[in-house]
Amino acid sequence: MSGKEFFVNRYEKLGWKYADTALKQAIRINAMNIEETSAAERLESLGIMLEKIPFLERGYWIKSKFSIGATAEYLLGYYSIQEAAAQIPATLFTQLRGKTILDACAAPGGKTVQLADLMRNSGAIIALDIEKQRLTALANHLERCGVKNTVTYLLNARNASQLKMKFDCILLDVPCSGNFTTDKEWFKRRTIEDVERNAEIQREILAEAVKVLKDNGEIVYSTCSLEPEENEFNINWALNELNLQIEKINCYGDKARTTVFGEKLDSSIADCRRIWPGNTQGFFVCKLKRA
Amino acid sequence: MKPLDEFAREFGAHLSLETSLIVENKNRYFLLNQKLKRLVGTEDFFYAGTYLGKTKNGQFFPSFILLKIVAEKNVNKMFVDVKTAWLFICGRDIFKKGIVKVEGSKRKGAYTLVLNQYGECLGFGKILHDLDEEKGRVVVKNILDIGDFLRREK
Repeated sequence: MSGKEFFVNRYEKLGWKYADTALKQAIRINAMNIEETSAAERLESLGIMLEKIPFLERGYWIKSKFSIGATAEYLLGYYSIQEAAAQIPATLFTQLRGKTILDACAAPGGKTVQLADLMRNSGAIIALDIEKQRLTALANHLERCGVKNTVTYLLNARNASQLKMKFDCILLDVPCSGNFTTDKEWFKRRTIEDVERNAEIQREILAEAVKVLKDNGEIVYSTCSLEPEENEFNINWALNELNLQIEKINCYGDKARTTVFGEKLDSSIADCRRIWPGNTQGFFVCKLKRA
Repeated sequence: MKPLDEFAREFGAHLSLETSLIVENKNRYFLLNQKLKRLVGTEDFFYAGTYLGKTKNGQFFPSFILLKIVAEKNVNKMFVDVKTAWLFICGRDIFKKGIVKVEGSKRKGAYTLVLNQYGECLGFGKILHDLDEEKGRVVVKNILDIGDFLRREK
């Protein structure tokens, strides 16, 4: 089961009519390195057009005639190139400064740097990834942005308990099937079997995260997948199997679906957020705590 | 940490980093804070805290964070104009006419940090000719610049 028609039909059953989406390029100012207004002024003086993203603190949609990944300001770590929806998860933790954070699937590090920025380099972030090459990209990102509070390990998130540590906050921006807005070949390449395989890995990561979560700790779970197997179904599973509960969040997006393809899920799943492609890429995010 | 101290001395700087918080991992040097120091060690980490640089074949390669730390001190540094700053980031050497101000040594053979109009460190180079004497030629050889972030990922 695959193909554009198959997936588009699924989206319609979830209440969204498919529409082609041109993804808007976005950046996030790193306030630990520069004042937001100064950064914005400098970028505008270079001829880059900035539009404040209304639902983010330091996010801007940008239009530029040249690569925004090659300015001195970028190389000095004054901003990160980060899609708008991807800027949401790190902002959902109640309190970050001074805390011990796990970024379980960290590379290439956009959200790790954002966490460090929100923490003003205080506390500690433990960032994991399973590919050395991706960890190198993460390390470059950390160096460029002057991050000082992060330790990275070549470690599968499914083995996070090997660290023998407990965390106040855990970011699970889990590996997922992605969505068609960031991959033109998505409908050709993806099958429902891929989605189910990814969903299984995500459940394993969730289960491991619970083992290393402090009693009052928070998990933020996110994917850039539109598929309910990786989103609503997985969270429903986590509520039933991992003794977690969903915390209300106040962020951009629609309520997640509590009835999916005829199956009724826990009503609290409405407190998760599903973001359909439009202003941003497709996304799903929620916050979890122990019940 | 000898390589770090020796590197800083090339610019006329004395590093005052807390040596007990500096860790070496596979010829790479990291400065930790107290909290990270307590956490590191359960697994072999890949990167930790503030990356300071690495040694390879006996030569020290500083991180840009270390250059920034050194730049905050009273050291050899030069401020360059907008065009020269851009060319420097692109890997080019520096002509005398692009230099706006020099602090510290102007002598041939000295190492100098290169800063832009905002006083931000863009990298460092080696002075090729005494700056008081030269006019038209390239006077600073680019050794390392922040454009390296783009080049290293290719």
